[in-house]
Amino acid sequence: MQMKSLLAVAFVAMAASAANAQQMVFTSWGGTTQDAQTEFWAAPFTEKAGTAVLQDGPTDYGKIKAMVEAGAVAWDVVDTEFDWALQAGKAGLLEPLDFNVIDKAKLDPRFVSDYAVGSFYYSFVIGWNPANFSGDAQPATMADLFDTEKFPGKRTFYKWSAPGVIEAALLADGLPADQLYPLDLDRAFKKLDTIKSSIIWWEGGAQSQQLLASGEAPIGLFWNGRLAALQADGMPVGISWQDNITAADALVVPKGARNKEAAMAFIAEATSAKAQADFATKTGYAPINLDSPELMEAELRATLPDAQTANQINADMAYWAEHRDEIGNRWYAWQAE
Amino acid sequence: MLSFLTPARRGSGLGMAMPALLLLLAFFVIPVAGLLSRSVTEPVTGLQNYETLLGSATYLRIFFNTFLVSGLVTLITALIAFPVAWALAIMPSRVAAVVFAIILLSMWTNLLARTYAWMVLLQQTGLVNRILMAIGIIDQPIQLTNNLIGVTIGMVYIMLPFMILPLYGVIKKIDPAILQAAALCGATKGQALRRVLLPLATPGIASGALMVFVMSLGYFVTPSLLGGTANMMLAELIVQQVQSLLNWGMGGAAAFILLVVTLALYALQLRLFEGKAR
Repeated sequence: MQMKSLLAVAFVAMAASAANAQQMVFTSWGGTTQDAQTEFWAAPFTEKAGTAVLQDGPTDYGKIKAMVEAGAVAWDVVDTEFDWALQAGKAGLLEPLDFNVIDKAKLDPRFVSDYAVGSFYYSFVIGWNPANFSGDAQPATMADLFDTEKFPGKRTFYKWSAPGVIEAALLADGLPADQLYPLDLDRAFKKLDTIKSSIIWWEGGAQSQQLLASGEAPIGLFWNGRLAALQADGMPVGISWQDNITAADALVVPKGARNKEAAMAFIAEATSAKAQADFATKTGYAPINLDSPELMEAELRATLPDAQTANQINADMAYWAEHRDEIGNRWYAWQAE
Repeated sequence: MLSFLTPARRGSGLGMAMPALLLLLAFFVIPVAGLLSRSVTEPVTGLQNYETLLGSATYLRIFFNTFLVSGLVTLITALIAFPVAWALAIMPSRVAAVVFAIILLSMWTNLLARTYAWMVLLQQTGLVNRILMAIGIIDQPIQLTNNLIGVTIGMVYIMLPFMILPLYGVIKKIDPAILQAAALCGATKGQALRRVLLPLATPGIASGALMVFVMSLGYFVTPSLLGGTANMMLAELIVQQVQSLLNWGMGGAAAFILLVVTLALYALQLRLFEGKAR
């Protein structure tokens, strides 16, 4: 089905280029996320604007930098991490977005900047396998996530340096949420040290699901959408939204993109209320268009981070963008220690 | 090695190699030179990237891990491959062809697929742990992935053909009569192996070991999926620096050190063994 639609897009693209019509390239992370982006963003866009959207991936920051430096930018719109987008915008790797085309009035202001708008957002939540913790005590807090005596077994965390795990460690160590920033890295790594030998890192969403479902790591910190997908498949999964930490993906246009106008129009379509609502319905990630939740079924809305704002912490994207390199270097060095 | 070619024909050999050489120049030598120049110019001109790499305990540990894993993999591969190559050399050629097909078949299977298969086999609830528990060797699942054991198993499996093939080539050429002669002269089986077969097979072991060691030094997929971050190898560091941190100076420096080590090992092997192989 997916293959067919990809092929269809490719054929449309060939036909389009033959007729000298427009086309553009959208790059994302692959997997089910990009499938949904193709289905709910690219296909309606092609239908309305007549511009074919070629899919490429996975997103690779090294490639973006290389393309921009070489002046040969093959990607028109790229799905990146939001903090990277802010940093890259400052570093001159991105085109400023055209807000005459993209209507930012309806977009969640947390995820709007000069060079990037949100693609979707998600929460890092505590997930556990009920088969492994069948007793009365169930993991609820970040402190529980770091308590290997109360909840024995391996823990799984996101491998790459990104907002989420550092914040979780500080919360687990008892730091109040409003004092998270500036991040106390010494304290965070000290807390992480206490469970280091119990950590299995997940590199991508599919791996995180596999680790949890197999019981290899019976507890961990996950993207909420991946746990929702496991539940939708009928697997019992425990989820705690206590102190859920939001982060987002961004849509950006690399500097010197060949089809800038089409790129802006594509982003406008992708962030529209309907496109965002459809994407969220399919993936369990939250829409960044403020009008989208109304378009979704009530039952689904209840599973979104939107419904969990009471105990929600917004990772500070601006702080991360500023300190991304410094945190990254320490993060990877600590991992390798 | 090229003794069958007369000197006059060597020149034309170079001509035939020209397309390949040009390809290498355009897509390997020039980009590598570019990366090398970045390593001494980014973020500022100087050797600071090399200082950072060689001066920090963390990065030195990554170098150590890289050599440890490569060394272990080379050693274990050699120990497993030697009897296999020997058996292949003395078995009837029809049977040997089947065994070869099996060995090569594994080489032709997608690397990522093979590595994922090992992840599934080696995990806590995986087949290996279940079998070990069923036959009572262990009563708790043991950790076989995300550590040195996982990387070593996965890489030994992938590297085996690269050791078996050169070993087979050399052992096949050894005249079985030499072993008979050794036995006639009163050598025990052990002595014949140690003092006759092994020395004769040394060039094969050396070229197999070099190939496996060098390939292991730069391996990325298997260590990344089967190893933990505590066993991080150089290629993983390079990917992090280039892809995630956009720190191309540092990535270039690490890549250049890897290249130098590889070339040095190759030169050493040429010096030590090439004469004997002729």
